[in-house]
Formats: sequence, structure tokens, C-alpha cells
Amino acid sequence: MPTWIGQAVRNGIVTTRYPEVPASESEIPPTGRPPVPTQGPNSLRAGVSLCPVGAISERAVDQGKCIRCARCLPGGFEFLGPVEAAVLTRSALAAEESPGALSRPIPPLAPLSRSLHVFLVDAGSCNACNLEVLALTNPLYDSQRLGIFFTNSPRHADVLLVVGVPTDEMVEPLRRAYDALPAPKAVVAVGVCAISGGAFAGIEGLHDSLDQLLPVDVYVPGCPPAPVNVLDGLLRATGRGRRT
Amino acid sequence: MIGSSRTPSGRPGPTSANPDLALAYAADDGSFAVYNDYSSGHETIRPGSEAEGSRDVVATWRRTSDAWRVRPAAPVEAVEGYGVFTFPYGPISMGVPESGRFDVRTYGERILALSPVAGYKSRRILSSVCGQTVSDAALRIERLAGNFSAAHVAAFLSAAESATGASVARGELWVRALAQELQRIYNHIHVIARVAEAASQNVGTAQAHALAEEMLRVQGSVFGHRWLFGALLTSGPRRRLDPAERRALGGTLKRHAEAFERLWELFLGSRTFVDRIQSTCVVAPSVARDWGAVGPTLRACGIAWDDRLRVPTSPYTDLFLDLPQESSGDALARLLVRAHEVRASFLLIEQLLDRWPVTPEALEAPPSSLASSRGLGRVESPSGDLVYDVTVSRDRVVSIGMRSASQANFPVFALGLRDGVFTDFHFAWESFGLVFAEVDG
Ligand code: SF4
Ligand code: SF4
Repeated sequence: MPTWIGQAVRNGIVTTRYPEVPASESEIPPTGRPPVPTQGPNSLRAGVSLCPVGAISERAVDQGKCIRCARCLPGGFEFLGPVEAAVLTRSALAAEESPGALSRPIPPLAPLSRSLHVFLVDAGSCNACNLEVLALTNPLYDSQRLGIFFTNSPRHADVLLVVGVPTDEMVEPLRRAYDALPAPKAVVAVGVCAISGGAFAGIEGLHDSLDQLLPVDVYVPGCPPAPVNVLDGLLRATGRGRRT
Repeated sequence: MIGSSRTPSGRPGPTSANPDLALAYAADDGSFAVYNDYSSGHETIRPGSEAEGSRDVVATWRRTSDAWRVRPAAPVEAVEGYGVFTFPYGPISMGVPESGRFDVRTYGERILALSPVAGYKSRRILSSVCGQTVSDAALRIERLAGNFSAAHVAAFLSAAESATGASVARGELWVRALAQELQRIYNHIHVIARVAEAASQNVGTAQAHALAEEMLRVQGSVFGHRWLFGALLTSGPRRRLDPAERRALGGTLKRHAEAFERLWELFLGSRTFVDRIQSTCVVAPSVARDWGAVGPTLRACGIAWDDRLRVPTSPYTDLFLDLPQESSGDALARLLVRAHEVRASFLLIEQLLDRWPVTPEALEAPPSSLASSRGLGRVESPSGDLVYDVTVSRDRVVSIGMRSASQANFPVFALGLRDGVFTDFHFAWESFGLVFAEVDG
């Protein structure tokens, strides 16, 4: 007769070894990496008119806007940027030297160098970012092994993790959640909706960037970022991110 | 479901758009109604219907000062008395990770009435795509509800194609079916995992979440995106569906199907799990019919409606699909239906991969027309019947309406929990697979 224990033994250890080892191909689909120009300025010039969200300029790709739609690929782009794409400033996501800029070591946010308790708020997501964040608790990622825990109360949290483009209706609940976190605290914006409005930038009644409402400490690009991308963002808040 | 795109205050409604879409109707005050009519074969699309007051209006979503609320068309008896109070659950709670609220009328543990409150995460998507090209609009539509992206894009594209008369290559229709069936398997396993989590089945929860994660990885490897964004668009990430890749996919899915069978056998063998969800949040067949339930919620009450069988389109017309129903209408029945459907979807994909079309077809694009034309698209999303009503002119969206499974099923969920206890809330909620993003639009 099958038993839960037998099933667990049969499955063996399924947990990723990330960040000890690089993320595997199965953990990161092509769209889990930022697009990079493969033919330098020619790609960028071609990409300007191909990108539906204005993420490509003649100087760089703004990863904070990129929804990973792949429309620029025929213009000379590939999803080859680093998995470790989280940064501490909005401007670093649009840096000309990207994607190299994305992989610089990041110092820890001073008070958060150990374990993290995370409170998740959906400010207006499609649900995919939420589910990718919550996937960190499944056995394949097991964020607890790295000292990352999700908490049911903002009072017990160090990190306010926000997904989705903030709607008018969510501004007040969001502020109240932020105020409820005890200091020291950090805000992590996950997904381009929270960073720039993503595919919804410019729609009336939406706030295109979370950092207009709250002080953001870590930006995790992607639409949605895959679980290892989110893990990278949270680890970077503690200075423990993988160096590429 | 849908109606005019603007409320009197000038703000877009939760799902905007075609004032004459009968599936839902927006009155001048911004409320909109959900229709269903099983007596005539569940013909939910009846252009030209009158709105509220019609016997087919089963519930309205009404704009109040701060949000949208479900209001049943039939009067619900108010409960008053000593110690009776209403408390808001949400919009932020870890129990329901999406932002949405429930106003719970209670005097303690028992739920006297439950009122879902939506609108917290309205991104005004439908009104925002009016004026966009069909392909640009698709980028927003697939992000309306990320875990149902394939169903939304398939229904939207099919409505737009029906409006313009565009033909679609047979291979593309098969790709759409493959993507939708993969996403159905993921969603059903995810729902099973969430119900198990609510029931504190820790080992089973972990294993079900792990299998759901494996399905996301399959989607990522075949379509380049874990949530299938771009999967149905020719401009999307590269697909990996050449013959060798299809063979490899078939082998991977066979292993996952076997893993699901082992997992499900263990869940059904757990008395504590089954006891906890049996008789929880029962929806009677008459309630499901009268209130317009769809999808696994409806089929768990013994009512055999599935768009893939009742209004089949290619390739479903060529495939064998076996969909048993359950009859008890409780959370267990909804899970049993989902488990049947996981099996059925694995089998459908096996048929798709075995008979994959090989000949590329040259298709002529229809002439771009200045005149507006309107089309309907309908698919069976993981949570049930999903309909798009799109008017297109010169490849641009002129108006758009949508009725999602969540919009249809929210009222039934609220009714099913009346007289339940609050500890039932999470089992019930998860077993319906409702998504606020799909209500808010
Ligand atoms: S992937 Fe899409 S959004 Fe990103 S840069 Fe390319 S075209 Fe723009
Ligand atoms: S960033 Fe993309 S995946 Fe995340 S909520 Fe926005 S649309 Fe959804």
C-alpha cells in the first residue's frame, strides 16, 4: 500500500542547490533572463520600433520595463542576461552597461544580513507574480533553508514584498501594510508591474511605479520573475546573493 | 458580465465594454449583471437581452462607494440580532494571497452571509485595449489572469478572428489546445495543493506543489515562459515543438501523469483529508443552475456542461474527451472533478502529440476592413466557461466584453458558505479556484 513516506523516499531530494550552484535550465526558462542585444547598437536601433512597451532605447534596454514578450528577438536580441538581475536602484535597471551592470555584487541592506521574514502584498497583479513568490515555499526551492520565511502578519515582517501595478484602490491598504512593519524594514518590488507599470503603464487609475508610493530597496525585474529570480532579489537584500 | 466601460463617476468598470453584450450588462449606475440560462441549453450569449429584471439575471456586481460587490438577483434574507456583526476579511490577507475582500456577517463562528467585494486590483484592462491592435491588446489580455493566460488569449483571439473572418492554421489551433490543456493540469494540481494546505496535509501539500511546479517547468521549456505569456502569439518566445521535442514532451508528461496518480491515491486514502472536505460548502444542482455556475463547480453538481464538448472547435472535434461528473456538489466533489480532468487533459495532450499536424498551411489574410465587425470566442478555461465578445475594425479593437468563470462562480461560492463555519472558508475558497484578477479585469 502506498504511503506518504514511501512516496517521499521515492522522490528523493528535489530541492535546488541554488544559489550554491547556478540555476539550471529547468529552473529558468528563456524569459527568466533579461534580453540582451547580440549586435550592439544595431540591435538597439532595430529594437526601438519593435518593443511594445518602450523598453528599448538606442542606448540600452530598460529591464524595469521589459515584459519579456520576445518581439525584439528578430531585431537581434536574445534572452541571455543574468539570472541575478535584481538591483538596488531603479536607474541600474536601465544602465547603458547592462547586462553587466546587473551582475555587480550588492552590499547587504545594513540591518538585514541574516534571516528574513517576508510579508507579501498584491497591489494589482495578474496572479502570476504572486504564485511565483509563493512557489519559493515549495520543496523545489524551499526558501526556509536560506532563512527566508513568509509571515501572515506585517507586524512580524522585515520585508514588504510587493507584486502588481498599484491601483488607486490599493494605495491605502499598501501604505497601512508598510506602516505596520516594524523598523528596520525593506521594500522589495517584484515584477515589472510594480517597477514601471509593465504592460499596464499609463493606464488611468494605476500608479506606474511603486517607488512613487513607498521607498523601494530592491527591484526584481521580470514578467513574472521566476522563483530563482525572486530568491536572488531577497538574498541580495541580505548581501548573500550569488555573484555572476 | 460586461457592460459599458465607464461608470457615472467616469471610472472604468471592473470589466468594461460592449453595452449590448447580453452575457452581462452594465446599467447606468455602473452595476453589471451576470446572465445564464440553462433552460435553453446554457445559451449565455443572447445579444439584445434586457438587463436587470430579466429572469435570466442571476447576480449583479454593483459599484458601491468603495468597491464592487456581488448582489444576488433574488433577495437574500437579512440576518439581524444580538451579537450579529460584519467583519471585513481582506483586502490583504495571506489566506487569500490576491487582494480582495469578503464582508462576513456572523455572530461568532457561523457565517450568516458572505459578501465578496472586488475591484481592489482593477487594472481597467478591457477599456485600455480599445483602440489597440489585436496583437498589442493580446499582450494585456494574457496578463489579465496569469494562471489562466492561455484560455483568455485563446478566447480573445478566436473572437477577433471570428469578427474579421481570419482563418487560422490548423497547427496554431493545436498549439492553443496544447497550451490550454497544460495550463488546466497545472491549475487543477495547484488547487488540489491549496486545498490540502488548508487541511494541514503538510506532506501531501508539499508533493502536490512540487508537481504543480514541474508543470510550470514543462510550460517554460516548451513555450519559453512558465505562464505561457506569448505562447499563443506568433511573436512570442520560440516554441520547442519539433518532432524530437514533442517526443521528449510526451515522455515527461507520462512521468508526471503517473506521479499524479500516485499522489491522488494517497490523498483519497487519507481519511482526515477526505473527511475535512466532504460535505463542505455544498452547492445544490438547482443553485448551480439558477445562479449560473460554470466549470468544475457546475460539473461537481452533476450538470454536464463543458465547452469542449458542447460547443467544440478544432481540434477538440477530432479528439476523445471523457469527462465524468460528480453529484454531491461539495469541496470533495469539486476536487474529484478536477482530478478526473487532470487525467483527461493528459490524455488529450497524448492525442495531440500523436496526431500533430505536419503540413504547413498557407493562409490568406482577410482584407483589412474599415467596417466594424463583431465576433464571439468561447473556451473552457480551467475554472469554466470563458467568453469574449470583440468588435474589430482595421485590425484594431473597437470594443470588448468578457465574462469569466470567476465572475460567474463568485455568487455560488458566497451562497455555498452561508451557514457554514469560518474554519470552512479556506477549503471552500480554494476548491472553487476563483481568481479576483479575473473579476476585476
Ligand atoms: S522582450 Fe519585449 S518588452 Fe522586452 S525589450 Fe524585447 S520587445 Fe521590449
Ligand atoms: S509583472 Fe507580469 S507577471 Fe507580474 S503581475 Fe505584472 S503582468 Fe503579471
